[in-house]
Amino acid sequence: MKSSPDRIADALQTTSRVEALDALSPRRPTLALPEINRLAAHLRELPDERHPLKIAILRTYTTELLAPHWSCESLLQGFELTLYQAPYGALLQELQPGAGLLEFTPEVTYLFLRWEDLHPRLAGPVTALPDRAAVQAEALEYLTNLLAAFREKLPGLLVLTLLPRMTPPELGMFDAMAEDSETIFFSDLKRGIARRLRDGLPSVYFNDLDEVAADLGRAQCFDARLWHTARFPFSVAGAQAVVARLMSYPVLLKCPRVKCLVLDADNTLWGGIIGEDGMEGIRLGPDYPGSAYLAFQRRLLALQGRGLLLALCSKNNQADVLEVLRAHPHQLLREEHFAATRVNWEPKPVNLQAIAQELNIGLDALLFVDDSDFECEVVRRQCPGVMVVQAPGTPLELPECLDGIPQLEVLQLTDEDRRRATLYAGRRKDQQLKATAVSLDDYLASLEMVMHVGLDDHRQAARIAQLTQKTNQFNLTTRRYTEADIIRCMDDPNWLVAHFRLADIFGDHGLVGVALIRLEGETAEVDTLLMSCRIIGRGAETAFLAHLLGHLAQRGIRSVRGYYYPTAKNVMVNSFWPQHGFTAIDEAAYELELGAVPEARFIRVETEEAGIR
Amino acid sequence: MDNFSKLQEMIALTFGAPAHEITPETARDDIAAWDSVGHLNLMLALEDAFGLTLDIEDMARLTSVPAILEYLAVA
Repeated sequence: MKSSPDRIADALQTTSRVEALDALSPRRPTLALPEINRLAAHLRELPDERHPLKIAILRTYTTELLAPHWSCESLLQGFELTLYQAPYGALLQELQPGAGLLEFTPEVTYLFLRWEDLHPRLAGPVTALPDRAAVQAEALEYLTNLLAAFREKLPGLLVLTLLPRMTPPELGMFDAMAEDSETIFFSDLKRGIARRLRDGLPSVYFNDLDEVAADLGRAQCFDARLWHTARFPFSVAGAQAVVARLMSYPVLLKCPRVKCLVLDADNTLWGGIIGEDGMEGIRLGPDYPGSAYLAFQRRLLALQGRGLLLALCSKNNQADVLEVLRAHPHQLLREEHFAATRVNWEPKPVNLQAIAQELNIGLDALLFVDDSDFECEVVRRQCPGVMVVQAPGTPLELPECLDGIPQLEVLQLTDEDRRRATLYAGRRKDQQLKATAVSLDDYLASLEMVMHVGLDDHRQAARIAQLTQKTNQFNLTTRRYTEADIIRCMDDPNWLVAHFRLADIFGDHGLVGVALIRLEGETAEVDTLLMSCRIIGRGAETAFLAHLLGHLAQRGIRSVRGYYYPTAKNVMVNSFWPQHGFTAIDEAAYELELGAVPEARFIRVETEEAGIR
Repeated sequence: MDNFSKLQEMIALTFGAPAHEITPETARDDIAAWDSVGHLNLMLALEDAFGLTLDIEDMARLTSVPAILEYLAVA
């Protein structure tokens, strides 16, 4: 692999920001400040399309020195950034009418706080505190109230950070042995914070900057000169790492999500070529270089645990690759780990299309990993939108080649995410069954589907928001909402937030459909109607709509209006409304006078028990 | 590249100012973006460009092109 100076020089010669990102991957080298400024100037000249982005910063220490890093990192991720920095130390003041923050309407607001802002005693020493538990509880209470005040008044995402402690533990080495360990004191607090945010503060996230200090080491992360003279804690390397980490939130908020990693086999999952080297010859196992491939496979399994799907795409004889998956003693990724598999001699772009289609996701939800220059280039050219990561030629660098990619981060992990891999394995069975069933009706009947419809259920707000953000194909209006938006709608008597879960003989598919409906007198408007692509083609949409129309009729609604806004992805629903008896009234709007409702077929619909609010 | 040209480039890059406006006499007050935060950015840039580590006292007093050139001459 190239040295850091060479990679930085390459990045300054690129003709697009994606090329610049590639030049700096994997593992971004630390750039000196002049290089950051040069790179930002270079990126600003490139013809890339950039999305506007509004970021606000609230802080109790100096953050102005992060500015060059925000500029460079936002350009690298394709944003045209507007930055608002609240006055030093102003927190609740920024929520007063007329304050700069509220008028700015940020999309992402970062809080840069210090531990002692939560409780003065946290400035330390903390080891000998006689009332540790009470201090922790008071700190949590203060923080929760502060964040709740921001959540109530501020749109967008809120990201909390706490300045890592710059010194080793008060008790030194003995901290690890101490009952009153400082490290454990703070990790308990962090766990408490995470719990409060998960349970009661939608779209507020805690980002643990201790990870940055761990990555770089305290000596590299901080600059004592700047801290003592200007109250700015970070070194250039530390600042760069902090900003790169925090830039993940806008990327996750505004860019297509990666849903599936498509992996090459030879020299990516193992060393060597199975067709030539054979089972005995490929490098995979406890000894180098096989150990590096094993480590990479372990990382891939961990990514699957975040809810990402894995797919295999290899130019090989299928039997050779299957033999490794089934019989190699050290292979970790087995057949059941892959949601889709294409082992053949077709061009990779063709296979990527097929994989996207099979999984019912867009091409831009794929991330392609391959060691070959040629394959990476072909995919970049023919499948724009697919993220490409070239597997490093040096096995040692392979395990970390997917680190630091914002699109692979997740903001929440629902039960659906955790179960996704198994669900897709079930779906493969389902497709085999489809092939053997006599007719589609027979097939659908054989599935014994049961739909549970729920209304305004707060417990589901996170998953519902996630679906509005991720669903592109079966989505009539493609409106994106945050968890906070969804909760507001649920609490508003003029809105109805409906969802459904679907189960069949293969298992529970989880929460897979959402409708947001606005009520006004005797009229209802379907603001959002969407369904996960996992369950397309079973008539679930008709059953859901029928149930909703029935519910609306009971509430005295006489006419229902639906909308279809075309996007590049949602052609499949362009005639959804006419198909369900709605009449077009203009280009985007359709109307139905409530009378006889369409009938659900093959699906038993049940209402979730009352009293769930 | 002599010290002045290199310094000229660093100042221009840090403050987004045209290089030709930076002369051997330029001082902090001549450039709007050379405020207290900008000053620290310039010091960090100089450390990298000239391979230096500045101490706090030097950072505080290197507030003009002549002062920086004088420092570089003896460094």
